[in-house]
Formats: sequence, structure tokens, C-alpha cells
Amino acid sequence: MISYFSSADRLVAAILVIAVVAYIGWRVLTSPEQALQFGFNGLSVGAIYALMAIGFTLVYSTVWFFDLYYGAAAALGAYGVFYLRSQEWLGGIYQVNTPVVNIIFAVVVAGVAAWVLHTTLYGRLQQRVPPPVLRTLGGILALVVGAYAGAVLMFPSDLHILFGPMAAIAAAIALFFLARFTYSSMLGRRGYKILTFVAASAALALALFLGNALVSSPGSKLYLSWVVSCLLAGSVGLALYRGLYVRMRQRSRSPLIMLVASLGILLALSASISIVFESAPRPLPDPFGSVPWTLGGANIKGFNLFAIAAAFVGFVALLITLKWTPFGRAVRAIGDDEEVARVVGINTTVIVAIVFFVGTAFAAMAGILNGHDTAIQPRMGLLLLLKGWIASVVGGIGNLYGALLGGFLLGVIEQFAIWDLAGEWKDVVAFVLLILFLSFWPQGLLPRK
Amino acid sequence: MNQPMDDNPESYILETVDISKHFGAVAAVDGLTVSIPRQGVTSIVGPNGSGKSTLINLLSGTLPLDGGMVKIDGLGLSTIHAYETPDHSITRTFQEVRLFDQISVLDNILVVLTTRKLWPSLFERTRRQHREKAQEILEKVGMWDKRSSLAMDLSYGQRKLLEIGRAMALNVNIYLLDEPFAGLFPQMLERVKDILKGMRDEGRTIIFVSHNMDIVREMADHLIVMDGGKLLLAGEVEEVLNQPEVISAYLGS
Amino acid sequence: MLTRPPSWQRLSELARNPLQAFALSRNNVELWANLLIITFAVVFMLWKGATFAVTLGTVFAIWAMLSVSLNLVVGFTGLLSIGHIGFFGVGAYTVAILTSTTAYENLRTGAIPTFGWPFFAALPVAAIAAGLVALLVGIAFNRFRDDIYVLVSFGFAIISFNVFLNLRGITRGAFGIHDVARPQIGSWVFDTELELMLMAMALMVIVVGISWFIVSSSFGRVLTAIREDEQVAEVFGYHASHYKLAVWVISAMMAGVAGGMFSSWTTFIDPNSFILLESVLLVSIVILGGLATIWGSLLGALAFVLLEEGMRFLPFLPQEYVGQARQVVLGILLVLLMVFRPQGLVGRYKL
Repeated sequence: MISYFSSADRLVAAILVIAVVAYIGWRVLTSPEQALQFGFNGLSVGAIYALMAIGFTLVYSTVWFFDLYYGAAAALGAYGVFYLRSQEWLGGIYQVNTPVVNIIFAVVVAGVAAWVLHTTLYGRLQQRVPPPVLRTLGGILALVVGAYAGAVLMFPSDLHILFGPMAAIAAAIALFFLARFTYSSMLGRRGYKILTFVAASAALALALFLGNALVSSPGSKLYLSWVVSCLLAGSVGLALYRGLYVRMRQRSRSPLIMLVASLGILLALSASISIVFESAPRPLPDPFGSVPWTLGGANIKGFNLFAIAAAFVGFVALLITLKWTPFGRAVRAIGDDEEVARVVGINTTVIVAIVFFVGTAFAAMAGILNGHDTAIQPRMGLLLLLKGWIASVVGGIGNLYGALLGGFLLGVIEQFAIWDLAGEWKDVVAFVLLILFLSFWPQGLLPRK
Repeated sequence: MNQPMDDNPESYILETVDISKHFGAVAAVDGLTVSIPRQGVTSIVGPNGSGKSTLINLLSGTLPLDGGMVKIDGLGLSTIHAYETPDHSITRTFQEVRLFDQISVLDNILVVLTTRKLWPSLFERTRRQHREKAQEILEKVGMWDKRSSLAMDLSYGQRKLLEIGRAMALNVNIYLLDEPFAGLFPQMLERVKDILKGMRDEGRTIIFVSHNMDIVREMADHLIVMDGGKLLLAGEVEEVLNQPEVISAYLGS
Repeated sequence: MLTRPPSWQRLSELARNPLQAFALSRNNVELWANLLIITFAVVFMLWKGATFAVTLGTVFAIWAMLSVSLNLVVGFTGLLSIGHIGFFGVGAYTVAILTSTTAYENLRTGAIPTFGWPFFAALPVAAIAAGLVALLVGIAFNRFRDDIYVLVSFGFAIISFNVFLNLRGITRGAFGIHDVARPQIGSWVFDTELELMLMAMALMVIVVGISWFIVSSSFGRVLTAIREDEQVAEVFGYHASHYKLAVWVISAMMAGVAGGMFSSWTTFIDPNSFILLESVLLVSIVILGGLATIWGSLLGALAFVLLEEGMRFLPFLPQEYVGQARQVVLGILLVLLMVFRPQGLVGRYKL
């Protein structure tokens, strides 16, 4: 990282910040209604950047290399939603449900399932069950999971029936463990058994209710398709890490090798997406209707509010996970020094793989939100990735708070800048901001401690 | 201070006046004033973290000074740029060997010998005199046979020798050597000692950091003892080593 | 390029004993890469005939100029720049604006000034313009390194593309500039494909010659030293940022020449030729061919051009997907190279 930070740089940084603040302030004072509109637009774009930046920061501050697959994950997520829903509203013109794609993803999911089974259960059961039996059973289970994933992709019009119960069960299990974890961290082991029983029955009821609700309402397909896309993009991220990056990182410490390899992945994946889906931009429909509300002279769309809320929810969830769970402590330990973490007994490969899964799922969510907000394009990923990167540089590389702040700030600054320039200069503004920040304020607003 | 006073300023080639360097809240070098005599071998000793390497880094411009001044041959400087150090007749080696890994051993030496001016270097080819000089140096460090292999493929000891050879290729008066003897096999060690003695006999000033007191006794004429970024003692080797606090602090009983 | 040229005696020995020659060369990736690509090129040319070879030759020459010049920066100096296409664009637009004579009064964008210069007067200006832009960009970028450098160079590529697209008063934006002049000496206009190919090849030879001159000089050796360890290079008296700036400007000027040739060859340019993707492809060529060798870049450009043309003849691949399929292949090749051969096919520097 760049370490020098002279007083001249600090002076330039201060002047630039004052200029930006003065400009925005002047704008707000002279035409407050329009400023409100631009500010809101900025926040809603910023929410997408912030999601990108949060996921990116999570990955970057753990492994310290610049993974460009992350951009492809955004495109993958958005196209996943398009793929699962294309048959519905386009009347079968763009029937892109190709067996090849389904099989590829089924194989990836089966591989990830096999890996999960191997890392979680194999070691524990090895003593009791003979390994060959265990391997066969695990293999069959992984195949079943893969086949299930393939089936979900094959019949997107029945997504709510096929995937709804699974999502309900997963949500119930997650809530069960959350309740148990919250209880034990606040009140300790007292009354633990009773709580477990209560929570389990509540979770069962919730699963039944939620499953029923999802299966009986075809409208839930949209939200389920978001979940499926994020999971798929995350699985690909995990598979890439486990299958490729681990091996490369053992061999070389150079961040450039990883960068170029992931550039190759990005190139291949975005070109594959344009082969499957054609390279023209495609719309994703606005899920909450496009009639805006008016608030103090500004038009506010429900979906944009949802995006802002999603960014905050994702941020808070990740923050809690990183701060208060053993997993989070392990992640931070690896980020500080991977060798030391390994020596202390943390299974770094598994933790980093999960980090990749979560990080790419965030990117996929950002891609989906961006797609609903504007349109999807095979090459949208790289630009989104770079915006996420800029946001995290502005906020402070490796700092989660900085990522959130930087994302929103980048969105707002972009919007205010194109007030007087024109919309097409948006990207230029973002990159000029990046170069200025890296030159004069390399630590960003909230430096990592 | 125990700095031996000398009225003739000409006898010191390198002086630091109240220099300091901070890393965050840690003062690695803290208001250090020390003078290094012209010619002969000066050794810097001290416990780990006492600021020896930082001092070398400051004197060679690898790290910027936070405060104070360095006088090189009477010329006072408050900022030293690394790229100007050859003009001040200074060069150095590093504690962790830093060669130009992915170029050949010969090129590692040649890169030091060729012109330092940007535009002339575009039109300069490797001349016979460069090649002869490089051969002379590589033979001195025993690496002429290895000239076409990459620097990264050498063993640790060979890398250490090559780094010293690369410093020698730069024909300067002051050599700052950071741990030149660390981790060497006896045979290599003797070779490094011989090389340094040869350089000393040519009338150059050698400043080296070491942990090995036997080598310091054998090689050094002057000794600087540092602790916590400050100067503890300085003077002739035997004089300093006989001081009770040095004996108790560093040499054990 | 072999690591050490074998003596004639050794060669004739091997020629008498082909089995031994095969055994010796089996693991020599460089040799096989060279043989494969060059054989493929020759067979392809013979099969498709002269017209095809001429067009291919022009495309190859332009990509070769770009990749050789980029290799000076990426391979020899160790700065992984993904913004090189920007300089190519500056050169192309300079030549287009200076030589185009069409007046565009009727179009919505309004007129852009016409100069009507001859090609050979505009080409040096294109190089100088690219160099000046590179000087400004280089001063701003000089403090960055490694992955941050990659990021800001991405930024440069995107900024330059947006400038070409949106600075309509000069570049006519998405409409592009027509009627770029062909090279002309007296009344001899280079307007057949063969003449243009020879022109491009001549420029390529000049670019390769200058590059060779640079990398074989003391300057070139200092560049490799800076690539390996900038701080140590400074200790030995080399002001690293000056050297980096110098090679950056020289490399950009070469890219500007390539751009000028490109716009004169196609006679029409629009911003779509200068998108970020092209830059990414360019970097892949350089890495594929081999870092820190000029021959590697030539080989990489040849392989790249052949890859696209070769894929046109795959029966199962529809024509409109050739470009994308080539990107898929290049992407996978990049990953494989990074895993098994980080210096590229005939490279001298591992990332």
C-alpha cells in the first residue's frame, strides 16, 4: 500500500473536499427540491455501489488480492434472475433455458455440496463409519443436491414449488441458530435446553407457514429467483476459490498473478454470458411498480428505497457476523495475518472459501438490484466492480464502515456532478475521484485500523 | 556522551545531528547524534529493535528523515533521496537480500556500472570496460561461473555475496552493510571478511551492522552501540567493549 | 527464441538423429509454441490465399505494434497497464481529425473543424499527441504500483473512451469520423490492401526496431531492475519515476502510431474501437505471447489474429459469436497460463 502522505497532499485533499462540499452546499441552497431529487438518486445508486463495496471489502481485506471474478458475479446474479424469469414475461421468444447451462451449474453446485460435506462431516464421522461408505454416501448426496439445482434451473416457472420449501427450511434453520446464539451470548447456558425446544418448534412452525406461503403464491418467484441467483453466483465464487485460487496462492504470493487469472475468468464469463444471452441490454421489470411517490418535490420509487434498505441490512448483518461470531473472529485473524491464523489452528481454506461465497453473493445482489434499476448487460460486471472498488477506496480500503459510506458518497457525488455536466460523464467523474483520492488521500475517509 | 572528541572535522566522513524516525507512536531512531570516522570499519551493534537497520535506511535515503540532519563529508542534508546517494558516495546492502531477482547475475552487476543519466543510457550499449569490470567483481565474489543464471536461482549465501558484489561495483567511499555476515556458512563468511578487508585496505569507509561479537572484534575499528533508538556508546572497539554496561547488557557475564 | 542459440555442430548432430532431437525438445514449451503458431500461420495463409493473407497481415501489424509497445511497460518495467488502448485512440483520432476533409454541417452534432493534412504529416503529430497525453497521465500515475496501478489504468481506459464518445465537438461522438486519408507520397496513394499492409508492416518494423534498441540498451536494463525492485534501483542512483515516465511516454507514442495507421486503414473510426475490452484483449496478448520479450509480443499478436480467423472456420460456431468465443478461449488461456506458465509462452519475466 502507498505509505507516503505528505503535508502538501493533505493540503490538496482539504482544498478538494472543501470545493466538493461547497458545490453541493451551494446546489442544495439554490434549488433544494432538485437537490433532494439528485440526493435521493445518488443514494439509490450509492446503495448498489455500497453493496458491491461491502462484499469486495470483505474479500479483499481477507485475502488481499484483487479478485475480478467479483464483477462477473454481479453479471451472473443479474442474468440468473433474467434466466429464471425470461419465459414468463417475454412469451417464450427468449427461451434461453439451455440444458448445457443447467448442467454446468448443476455440476458446480454438486461440487460445492461435496466440498461442504467433506469439510463439515467427513472428519467427524470418519471414526464411526468406514471412509469408503462415507465417500459413497457423500458422493450420492452431492449428486442429489446437484440434480436438484439442475431441476430448479430447468423449471423456472415452478420455482416457487421447487425452491420455496427449501428456502423456507433454510430460513427457519437460520433463525433457529440465530435465536440460540443470541440467547446463549446474552444469558449464557441457563435454560438452554428449554430454549432450544421452544426455538425448534417455533422454527418448525415458521418453516411450515413460510413454505406454504411461498408455494401457494407464484408472485414469490421473483424473490426466490434472487435467492437462487445469489446462491449460484456464490457457489461459482466458492468453486473458483477452492478449485483455482488456493492452488495459485500456494505457489505464488504475487497479487498480480491472481489478478490476471481472475481477469481471464471475467473475460471468459462475460463473453459466455453474451453468447448465451446476446450482448444487447435487456430489461428486468421493476418489481414494485414504477409509479413513484412524491416527497418534498422529489420522485421516489419504492424499489430504490428497497435497494437502500437492502444495503443497510446487508451491512448490519455482515457487521454482526464479523464482530460477534467465531467465524467473524477467524475472518479478521486471517485478514491480519494468514500464516499466523493457520498456525493458531484456524482452517483458513474453509474460512476464506466461505468469505468468497458471501462476498460474491453480495456482488450478485448488487448486480440484481442494478439490473432492476436500469437494465442488464453482459459487460455490466466490470464497471460495477470498479465502482465498488472506487467506493471502497474513497471510504478506506479494508474497512466495512468505509465501504458503506464510500458507496453512498460515490453515488451522491456522481449524481451532483452530472447536474451541471451531463449524464454521460458519470463514469469519468467516478474515476477522476478515484485518482484524486488515491493521489492525495490514499487511506480514504475511514482508514482500516 | 562517550563520543571521543576530535577537533578536526575532516576526520569524520558521516555525521548525524539529532536525527529521528517515527513509525506511528514508536520512535525507531530518537534524536541520534553520532559521528563515523573517515576510513576504517565501523560496526553498529545493539539489541533487536534498537534502530540499527533504521539508521542504515535513513543514511541511505531508503526511508525519509523525520527530523535532524545528516552531514556527509561535511555537506549537511535534511532530506536524502535514495537516487542521490551514489553522488554522495554512499551505497548499501539490505538485511534481507534484495537482488534484481529475474535478471541474470551478470546484469545485476552491469546495471550498477552503466551510466546514471537517463537519455545517454538510451544510447549506451554494454561496453567492454563494463564487462571487464563486472567480470573482475564476479570473480572476486566467486560467481563468474554463475553469470548467466537468474539471481533468484542462487543459494542464500551466493545471493548475499552477489549483493555485496553489486555494492562493490559502485565505486564509492561509504558502504553501509546491513548484517553482511548473517546466516553464512564458514567458508562464505571468510570470503565476505576478505572482501571487506580488501575494501578497507583500499581506503574506503565500511559501516556494518552485526550481532556476532567475534566478527565485530575481528573486523571493526570503531564501534557504535545503540539501544532504543538512542546512542549508548561509541568509540574504539576495545575501549567500548570493556565498558561495564556494554558487557552486562550485551555480552552477558 | 531459444535460451541459448545452439551451435551448428550441435544442430547437424541433432539433424542426423531426429529421435534425440525430439527427446531434447519435448519439454521445450517455447520451441513448440513457436513451431505451432508459425506453422499454423503458414498453413492458413497458403490455404486461404494471398488476399486473405494481406488483410490478416495488416491486422497483425497493428496488433503487433500495440503489443510490442505495451510489453515495454508491462513486461520490461513491470507496470501492468490496462489503459493502453487510450493512447491507441488518441493516435487514431488525431490522424482522423487532421486528415479527414468531410464537412459535417448537416448533422446534429454540428461541424468539426477540418484540416485536410496529408497522412504523413499527421502521423508524427499523432505520436506526439499520444506522448503528451501519456506524459500527463504518467505524472499522475507514477506513484502507484501493482494492483492499484491496474485499477487506475482501468480508470484511464474508461475515461479515454468516455472522452472519445462524449466530446462531440471534436470527435463527433458515436457518429465517428469518416474519410480518413490514406497514406500518400506525391500522387501515389496507398489505397490497395497490399500497399496498406506494407505500410503497416514498415511501421511495425520501425516500432520493433526502436523497442529492440531500447531494451538492449543500458536504459532497458535499468527498466528491468526497476521492475524487480524499485527501491534498490534508486539506491544505485536511478531516479525510478523518471525512467518509468520515459518508457511510458515512448510506449504511448508507439501506440499512437499504431492508432494512426489503424484509422487510415479503416478510413472510419468511432469510439467502439477503443472500448475497455480491447485493452483487456491487448494485455492478454502480451501475457500470452510472453512478458519481457519482443518476439513474444509478436508471437502473441500472431496467435491472437489467427485465433479469430481460425475460429471463423469452426463449423459449429455461428459467425456472430466468433468474437465472443475468442474471448472465452483467451480468458481460459490466461487462467491456464497463470497457473502453469506465469511468464507467457516465450516470456522472460514471471508476474
